Amino acid sequence: MDDYQTCPKCKTTKYRNPAMVLMVNACGHALCESCVELLFAKGSGACPECKCPLRRNNFRVQLFEDPAVDKEVDIRKRILKEFNKRQEDFPSLREYNDYLEEVETIIFNLVYDIDPTNTNKMIDNYKKENKDITQKNRNRQSQEEMELEVLLEAEKAQQSEKANLYVNAELEEKKQKHKAREKLIDELMFSDADAKSIVASHVQATAALAKEQPKAAAQLSSGVVKSSKFSSGVQIGLRGQHTNSFLPIPKQEDLPLYRYTAPVFDYDGPPPPPIEKLGKLNYFANIRAANITERAGGYTEAMSCCRALQEALGGLFYSPQLTHKAAVLATNASTPDTDDMETT
Amino acid sequence: MKLNVDGLLVYFPYDYIYPEQFSYMLELKRALDAKGHCLLEMPSGTGKTTTLLSLIVAYMKAHPLDLTKLVYCSRTVPELEKVMEELRKLMNYYEKEMGMEQNILGLALSSRKNLCIHPSVSKEREGKVVDGRCYSLTASFVRARHAADDAVPICEFYEGFDAHGKEFPLPPGVYNLDDLKEYGQTKRWCPYFLARHTITHANIVVYSYHYLLDPKIAEVVSKEISKSSVVVFDEAHNIDNVCIDSMSVKITKRLLDKCSNSITILETTISKMKENDSKRLEKEYKRLVEGLRDATIARETDMALVNPVLPSEILEEAVPGTIRTAEHFVAFLKRVVEYIKTRLRVQHVVQESPAGFLRDIHTKVCIDRKPLRFTAERLASLIRTLEISDLTDFSPLVTVSHFATLVSTYTKGFTIIIEPFEDRAPTVSNPILYFSCLDSSIAIKPVFNRFQTVVITSGTLSPLDMYPKILDFHPVIMTSFTMTLARQCILPMIVSKGNDQVAMSSRYETREDTAVIRNYGNLLVEIAAAVPDGIVCFFTSYLYLETIVSSWYDQGIIDQLQRHKLLFIETQDAAETSLALINYIKACDNGRGAVLLSVARGKVSEGIDFDHHLGRAVLMFGIPYVYTQSRILRARLEYLRDQFQIRENDFLTFDAMRHAAQCLGRCMRGKTDYGIMVLADKRFSRADKRSKLPKWIQEHLKDTNCNLSTEECVQICKRWLRQMAQPFSREDQLGISLLTLEQLQSEEMQKKIQQRAQGV
Repeated sequence: MDDYQTCPKCKTTKYRNPAMVLMVNACGHALCESCVELLFAKGSGACPECKCPLRRNNFRVQLFEDPAVDKEVDIRKRILKEFNKRQEDFPSLREYNDYLEEVETIIFNLVYDIDPTNTNKMIDNYKKENKDITQKNRNRQSQEEMELEVLLEAEKAQQSEKANLYVNAELEEKKQKHKAREKLIDELMFSDADAKSIVASHVQATAALAKEQPKAAAQLSSGVVKSSKFSSGVQIGLRGQHTNSFLPIPKQEDLPLYRYTAPVFDYDGPPPPPIEKLGKLNYFANIRAANITERAGGYTEAMSCCRALQEALGGLFYSPQLTHKAAVLATNASTPDTDDMETT
Repeated sequence: MKLNVDGLLVYFPYDYIYPEQFSYMLELKRALDAKGHCLLEMPSGTGKTTTLLSLIVAYMKAHPLDLTKLVYCSRTVPELEKVMEELRKLMNYYEKEMGMEQNILGLALSSRKNLCIHPSVSKEREGKVVDGRCYSLTASFVRARHAADDAVPICEFYEGFDAHGKEFPLPPGVYNLDDLKEYGQTKRWCPYFLARHTITHANIVVYSYHYLLDPKIAEVVSKEISKSSVVVFDEAHNIDNVCIDSMSVKITKRLLDKCSNSITILETTISKMKENDSKRLEKEYKRLVEGLRDATIARETDMALVNPVLPSEILEEAVPGTIRTAEHFVAFLKRVVEYIKTRLRVQHVVQESPAGFLRDIHTKVCIDRKPLRFTAERLASLIRTLEISDLTDFSPLVTVSHFATLVSTYTKGFTIIIEPFEDRAPTVSNPILYFSCLDSSIAIKPVFNRFQTVVITSGTLSPLDMYPKILDFHPVIMTSFTMTLARQCILPMIVSKGNDQVAMSSRYETREDTAVIRNYGNLLVEIAAAVPDGIVCFFTSYLYLETIVSSWYDQGIIDQLQRHKLLFIETQDAAETSLALINYIKACDNGRGAVLLSVARGKVSEGIDFDHHLGRAVLMFGIPYVYTQSRILRARLEYLRDQFQIRENDFLTFDAMRHAAQCLGRCMRGKTDYGIMVLADKRFSRADKRSKLPKWIQEHLKDTNCNLSTEECVQICKRWLRQMAQPFSREDQLGISLLTLEQLQSEEMQKKIQQRAQGV
């Protein structure tokens, strides 16, 4: 399946000679290491394929399968050293993109030997014009690179810190378990108390420990700086919005259910007629009927009528023999009542 | 029957209802009322599908403004068809009761492979080939060419649909895949595009997970579904893995070689086009300079290539200048491919974060992050401009472009792992680059954000609180329902030791032990002697299955086994497995009885039902942990621990137990069914494992059955089977596990249901 790398000169393949290493020079044509030594014994010579004058020192190990890519990357690195303007150097994105394309064209031309005189002229012109910027940019990192650098840094820090934390936590946990067991056995052996009660207390203790552990884990995690954003600034998950996330507790059977008990009123008076019968007993004759808007809101005249009756009748059997305090309270409470009654 | 569910009139297409179905409806209605997400577990075989459908359809009818659409996601085509059958039943019932046609349109959508009716294209067997050929017949430029030159072939069905189908919406009704095809045949319209077009106004859409979860497909198919929809993920116990798979990329050496070929094709096509028709390239170039999106020109048939990242992550910016012209972009692609090739030439395993990868690619081949982000989009644009109609050859290149875009978009939640060889064969060089998504919440997040209600349901979702954590969402309702049973029709048992008191376990240290293997064998033989009809066994891996079977062969256990029943084995080959299955069913049907040896996480464990006599007993040999040495898994575990505070062991156990539960659930497909469930591993009896089983199994797993030896287990089986063999009719169930309308409305039952709804 694999077509092995072959030296174009001596036709050695990687299969026959696993130690073979292909080298490339500026022209982008490959030669194996031994051929290079043979052909360039004097230190310089012509490429056997394109007859380009080459130096032996410039031969490098071929990185990519396609030697043309090696050549391109080489040229690209050289060019980008000069053409290192940033987006910040341009007034608009559009112009920056145009610049990028121009650079790309120059590289492309150099790689495929299209119009070399003009291209070289362009490069020289650029070099002259943009000396300062080039010099300046050489020394500072682009924003993108910095971003990556920060990310990598954070990853590294996190990794080492976390690894230690978790390993320690796990060790600690194991130790504690071990201790608890030893203690239980010791107690069972030497204590005079009932074995059952010892076991029971042990179970309780372990349960308490188990409860504590999630807390410890949470503490661990809070100790480490958690990044909650993608580099593009998009939040990861919803945790960014709510720090302590809400989860419905899985329902459990053994909880006692809430039971509704009707509240008991201490009425102290004759029972008022029930709300359903008010109409029949002709109470509404003395009241303003509710208008349409009020009805739409859920209000009926029966409500206010019932309320007024309750207030009127409540407390009628009240006797002032009770303690003074209660009496004061009662009068306080009853004064607004009377007001209400007048208004209705 | 007509039910009153918390004030909502629900038409239920059957005369009887299970009490848990009613409780399920209550909970579901609450979630719909609250417009929140919910997580519901109900045992398989209790009619989840019909319950879901009848409640949601009733809700849609009652509140047409609050809830406009039901999107039902299922996993496989047969499951999809089952849902459509239930829906049809429900609609028929509505019609009968209300006496008129219902104004509800439900349809199923599947890939072109299942829906194509083109005489020659539909003969193709592989999905990708069908897609490619369809594209070559329906792409807009092909049709334009056809307009100029009649000799260029096009698809008459698509033309028919394009000419007439869009004006006439599909009449209301229920359409499964076959109905769609038939309708397409009579009208001469393409059923696939008809279905895709209809999705926007259908009330009920049934399709596969991927149409929502995979950003590559979701963008094309599900873009226009409104917020006021309810999304149901059925059989969702594996949903986190689906999410992860949809965002992950795997690159092999061969794929890269194919990429190089495709790049050469691109190069030649570009140079040809430059000579003949340079205008088109210029037009594309100008468009890119202006930073115009393709959206305006893109047509429905052209969207074969799309962006792999989530819509919210796509940069709304012009394509950067470095890859604007076609030649530059091809050179760029070449560099990317060559770079990945050099990365694959490693001697040891490399694990790297996306940030590290980006820095390395910048220093090695001078590729910035931004052009990398645009790779997928730029490639799609180029292929469209070049009017390449045969896309199948380009799929490797598309994969690489997806990788490039993904790696430069997401720096968190992903990892890159390069393995020079497989663990099993360290001498054979087979380098693979895995770009693996570690966070299942990334892919599903847009779904949760976009739709008002997402229902995640399955027969086995225990432990429930794990899913909100790993999917990072906040359900308003999270409930597990048990099965009300008139008789104890499942018998879960944990067998921890053989007759010789040697502990049984598939632990790594003891799994090769002959005593353990022999004990497993004896357990199977004795159960095979006691249990009638079919028995299904699950092993933890194919490798383990093979070693065990070979030692059983040496120990003579296979011979003993074959005295009682025929033996069938699942293999990794799909055709072989289906043949084994067919014969297994045959052997069970004619009363001979059979044993099927299969693998947890395999094909059999995920979607083949062994109801009634096909599965009277399920044996789980060992705990089906994943292969824990896998680096992708390790990376994911680490990520889960760091981001979600889920401990490695918790997740591994959770994952193992959900698969064990899946396997066990295979034998129970209804209330009249009965089956034995044997968990043959000592470790199952530990509290952390036991408590992670679904509630409906735990309920029947008594403490006395948790530490049995082979002999005891067989004794219990015999006694239990005798009970189960007694005649069992509907009357026995009525009132307990099966209710008529009157029984449901009786005060006592209402009280019980209320209790269940609050207490479960």
